[in-house]
Formats: sequence, structure tokens, C-alpha cells
Amino acid sequence: MSDYTLKVTKTLDYQRPEIEKGYTDQTLHVNISDADIAINPVEQKIKDTFIGGKGYDLWLLWNAVGSDTRWDDPQNAICIACGPLGGTPIYPGSGKSIVTTLSPLTQAPIDSNVGGYFGPYLKFSGFDALQIQGKASRDTVVFIDGIDGQIQILDAAGLPENAYELSTLLTDHFANGKPRNISVVSAGPGAQNTRIGCLNFTWYDAKRKRARYKQAGRGGIGTVFADKGLKAIVVRWDTVTADTNNPSNKGKLKEVAKLHSREIVALDPKQNEMARIGTTHLVTIMNDHDLLPTHNFRYGSHSAAPNLGQEVFRRLFDPGFDGCWMGCTVACSHGVKDFVPLTGPFKGEKVFVDGPEYETVAGCGSNLGIFDPHTVIELNFYCDAYGLDTISVGTGVAFAMECYEMGLINQTHTGGMDLSFGNRLSALEIVHQMAIGEGFGQIIGQGIRKMKEKFAGDFGADPGIMADIGMEAKGLEFSEYMTKESLAQQGGYGLALKGPQHDEAWLIFLDMVHNFMPTFEDKAEALHWFPMFRTWFSLCGLCKLPWNDIIPEDNKDTKEPAKVIKHLQWYADYFSSVTGRSSTPDDLVAMSEVVYNFQRIFNLKMGFGTRAHDALPYRAMGPVTELEYESRAERYDTQLQEKYKVDIDGKSTAEKLAIMRQLREEQYEKLQDAVYERRGWTSEGIPTVATVKRLGIDFDMVLEVLKANGVQ
Amino acid sequence: MIKVAGHSIEWREGMTISDLLGELNDPYPYAVVRINEAYISRPNFDKTAIPDDAEVYLIPMVAGG
Repeated sequence: MSDYTLKVTKTLDYQRPEIEKGYTDQTLHVNISDADIAINPVEQKIKDTFIGGKGYDLWLLWNAVGSDTRWDDPQNAICIACGPLGGTPIYPGSGKSIVTTLSPLTQAPIDSNVGGYFGPYLKFSGFDALQIQGKASRDTVVFIDGIDGQIQILDAAGLPENAYELSTLLTDHFANGKPRNISVVSAGPGAQNTRIGCLNFTWYDAKRKRARYKQAGRGGIGTVFADKGLKAIVVRWDTVTADTNNPSNKGKLKEVAKLHSREIVALDPKQNEMARIGTTHLVTIMNDHDLLPTHNFRYGSHSAAPNLGQEVFRRLFDPGFDGCWMGCTVACSHGVKDFVPLTGPFKGEKVFVDGPEYETVAGCGSNLGIFDPHTVIELNFYCDAYGLDTISVGTGVAFAMECYEMGLINQTHTGGMDLSFGNRLSALEIVHQMAIGEGFGQIIGQGIRKMKEKFAGDFGADPGIMADIGMEAKGLEFSEYMTKESLAQQGGYGLALKGPQHDEAWLIFLDMVHNFMPTFEDKAEALHWFPMFRTWFSLCGLCKLPWNDIIPEDNKDTKEPAKVIKHLQWYADYFSSVTGRSSTPDDLVAMSEVVYNFQRIFNLKMGFGTRAHDALPYRAMGPVTELEYESRAERYDTQLQEKYKVDIDGKSTAEKLAIMRQLREEQYEKLQDAVYERRGWTSEGIPTVATVKRLGIDFDMVLEVLKANGVQ
Repeated sequence: MIKVAGHSIEWREGMTISDLLGELNDPYPYAVVRINEAYISRPNFDKTAIPDDAEVYLIPMVAGG
């Protein structure tokens, strides 16, 4: 470990409030430009409207920034909140933090839901949300000590650059002998030198005696963090029990928590074994259904995909309890012990790697044409340590590789690097270059939208084909699911507020595999209900996995199995028992609808949030190249003939490709119309005045944004 | 014998997952079935034989993530 100094430059002593029904009713504001620390109350109207978590974040962020604020302006804020249910140690999946900021990739609000102890510890220390603004001239650490009631801003020197060592060092430094009391948020050098930086949120693994971390990955939040001069935010808190949230009805809470927790213990071993293999079971399942992205989303399967599947990771993961929050029985945060990287600053050393999860396996594996699990693990390790989002890294490198194979770029542009699909050493070298901000890795690290501009402007690449194969929407790289054959999931990605991330709507199985939503109206209803309900988890500080990844045995006999109705009622009971606000499942959806529409209008405030911004690259909708068409010719020919009644006799592949494209693009437009109508939006995708009044967000500032966009 | 969702069922040589699902008379559209530690997806149900003494789990996967 390096020699380092941490010098306190500002201290604020505060009186920690008692938690009341999951809330502290105050927020913490730190401006690191002038070392200003303030504690503000939360008004009842804001509490009732925005609930907590992402709702609080968005409210704070809206009021922190103007419509002309850019991601790297000091005014841009990083907001971190838990939620009223967050920190409950007896209900599975109750330890999430939700982070928002203006994204360097999309220039609009981004949100990320992450595990680790930070959010709950922040709340128990006295704050429902934290807002960080400003920029520091020196490396800065913010320390929130909930035990001693003190907030400190510290000048830092000599700290490790990488999050792997930094997390351990700061945990030891602030622990006072009790490392479980500490959670650290940090980024890394890759976050500083790219636009795709992530944040690492630690939790302490008592069995392995080490700080481990989960990632707030999407949208470059880590880049904003690093740009502010923040090295870390550290929180310290003590013992957590079911009483710490001071729930309204502890008896009811214990009852419903026991039901859900025990069900997971009983059923997970019979279903997806997430407590043993995490989300890696998805790799071969997606591959078998032609949904696993390979070679920059050209195809959905590959014969070598089982090399990256659960049978391999079952043997590579270190067995043991791996819950990123206390008491979670899903416990899916697995890792690889004693891994020895072949490259980079940790070459030859034994390290512990947190992960990989499905998204990393698909993004940094199959989508790059890499089917070697050890390379995926090494990419995972360095992305985390450097503070890089494995999804944007994977999707971004995949785009560059396809451009290279198409001859749109060549070795004179890549610094002599062979960027062919499957080149493992090149993929690793790119990540190391991202960390130091040099070479072709620095260019890829700016994200696909910037790459497309540079490749066209500086390298003479064809912008048309890059628009089709560059898998970004709204500026954010796609997460790792093939959507060509699922119109609903195309909507799930294209209509997602922050860009193509699956956390809003994961509808592929419902739509394509089960055919549960055959009509436009069915799809529109799903693209209303699912994003709304899924948003609710981020209002409350919860993980979604306990809801619909482990399923009651009688769920299949219910009217709407996709909603997992039994769990909806449990979540309503959970919310009611903690907050004292008696709620039904429909009430939970209504809570989300408020925040969801507010975020859409926030996008509008920042110059986005209309129909044009919900566009998709064509590869998300169908085959771009003749090669792609011909690889699944029977499927596409049959669709043209049977679904669209097209006479294909005598037509070339190029002609069929063009017809297919026109039809699929028309379908997506029709889907947009149906979803906007269902959501109470105009045909341009803007919430109507009637909608915002119905939802109770008809604040003057909201109505002004609508009016400026022709809605009144 | 094989075990399916905790119940014992007679095994026969060459019995596939599709055969088993047909015998169970369960209309639910299972997309994934687990045989011991192996996850088998619907496109492979017809060609995947179940070994004797296997533990079979019907995975009610509807969504996720």
C-alpha cells in the first residue's frame, strides 16, 4: 500500500435524527468547491410525491441544475439515496443505493441502482439523500460518520488510483477496528479518462475479511465523480437490526419478510441457483434462444457460448455467502478468489474478482467474440479497479471491432492494434489504455456516439453504416440482450428514459419466448406497467431480483404470471409496514408513475425527452447486413411471407433486407404511438398537462418546461 | 426413476424433456428445465434425453433482471 495523507479541511458536527418509519426527513448537501456542508429538511409534499431513493435524487438534481448545465459543470450534482425500505436486514434485497447525475454520455439524467452498504448506512447516519456539487482543486474524500455525528471533508494525497486497493485502504483507515461499519464509494483512473466511468460501492465480507464492491455502472456517473476531484465518499455506521428503520408495524414487517425470505431459501435451489451461480445461468439460456449478443449484436448465439456458462462459473466462483446487503437470501454477488491476471499492474498477483455477472460475461465475452472465461474475469477485474462500466466497455469495444472488421477503421487508427473479434489481448490492452487515457482505448472510452463522430470526421468512415451498427441510443450503450425478434424489448430499450438499459423493462421472454403479448395494445400495456413497477424498487432502496427471479410454485396458475402477483402483495405489505402508509399493489405503481413522468420531463428540460430521442439503431430491430439476413434466412423469409404477406419469389437478399427494414421500422413507430397514448403522453412523447395534474407534479417549473415544448 | 418437482416418475430409456412435459400434462409454457445442474432451454427439449436417477426442475422463468 502507498504512503498517503488525509488532512481534514472542514468538519461539521451534527445531531443525528431518529429514523421514523424508514425516513430521516433530511438531506445532506456538500459543495466541495468551497467546502460547504448543509443539512436540509425534506418537505412533506416532496416526501409524499417522490417517496425516496431515485425520486429524491431526481428532485434534488432538477433543483441543482439548469437547462444549460453540462455534465462537467460544478453545478452538476451526484445524488445518492436509499429509500424508506432500504436498510431492512430481514427482507431480501433491501440494501440498494440509487445514484443520479447528468451523464457525460447522454447529457441527461442517468440513474443507477447499486448494492453495497452505502445507502443504508447513509440513511442510518441521518440522511435520506446526499447531494454532492462543486469541484475540488485537490483530491478530496468526504467522510460521513454516523456514529460520532460528524461530517468531514479531507484533502487526500498519495492514495491508490485504483478502486481495488483504495477501497481496502479507506475501509481500514476509517474502520476503527470494525471494517463492517464502513462503506466506500470510489471510481478509478478509467473513470477520470473516459466518459464511461462507474462507481464502486463497498460491502464488507466478514468471512473473507475483505472489502468487496458492487458497481453503479451506467452512464458515466464515475466520470462525473472523478471530474469533481472526488477520490471517495466514506460512510461509517454501527449495528443494523430490523428496528433501525423504526418501522411502523414491526410485527407485520417480520411476518412478510419471513415469508419472502423463506420462499427464496426453499425455491432458489430448485430454480436458478442464484445463491450459487449468480446470473450466469442466463448465458446458455440466452444463447439457446438466439438472444445472447455475439460479435456486436450481429447474432444471438454461438457454439462456444457454453464456455462462458454456469457450468464453468459454478467451478470458478468461490463458494460462500455473497449477499451485497445483510440478510439477503438471494445472495448473488459471487466472486473469483486467487485470480492471477496475465496483464496490467496486477499481473502475476493473486486478486479477488467481484463477479462476473451475466451482463459482463455477455458484454466483455460473447459480444467481443471472446469465449474464454479467464479473459472475461480479467476484463471484469480491471474494469472495476479502473472504474469502468463493463457494459459500455463491452458494447463500445464490440462496435470498434466490427468497424475494424468492416474496414471502416484500420491499424493506422488503432495504433497498430489488431481489433478483430476474439482478440483477447487487444481487448485487455484497450481497457489498460482507457485507464491512462492514451491510445485507441481513450477514443473508445468516449462512448459509441463520440466514436461515430470521430470515425466519420477524422477517419472517413461511412456514417450510415455506423448509425446502423453502433449500439447506442440516447448516447448510452446497449446492455446485453438481442432485441431483433422482440418488438416489445425494442420498446423496452428505445423508450427507456435513460437509454437502453434493461432495468426498466425486460420483456424478451414474455414477448418472444412465451408470446404473452401478441398485440400492439398488449405490448403497450406491458411497456406501461413494467417500467412503472420496476421504477418502484429504486424509489424504496430495493433490488428487483427477489420479485421475479425466484418465483412461487403456484405462480404459473395465476392470471398474470409475469407480474408475480403474490410478491406484489408482499411488497405492498412491506411498504405499508415500514412507512405506515397503507398501500395496495396499484398504489406502488402509482408512486412510480409520478417519478417516471417527472424524469421524462426532466429529460425535456435538458433538451431531450421527445419522440426523436427514442430512436434506435437499426440493428436493434433487424438484420443490417446480407450476412445477418442469410444466417437466419428461413426465419426472415417465413416472416415476410406469413406475417407480412410479401411475395419473395425472385427477390435478392438485398431486396428482402430492404423490405424487412421498412416493415420493422414501421412497427416500431406504431409501438411508439401505442405506448405514448397508454402513458398519457402526446404523439411526440411528452406528458400532457392532464397527466402531470393527475399525478400531482404540476409544479410551476414542470408546467413551464411543458409550455416551452408546446404542451399546455 | 427420476424426480420431477419432488415427485418420483418412472424413467425409460431415451426419455426426452418433451416426452416428460407431455406426460405431466402441465400446460405452462416452460422455457427452461434443469436436469441436475444442467440448464436446458426449450429449443433443445426434443433432443435432450433425461438420464436415469436424474433430478428434474421445471423452471417457471417469466422475466428477470
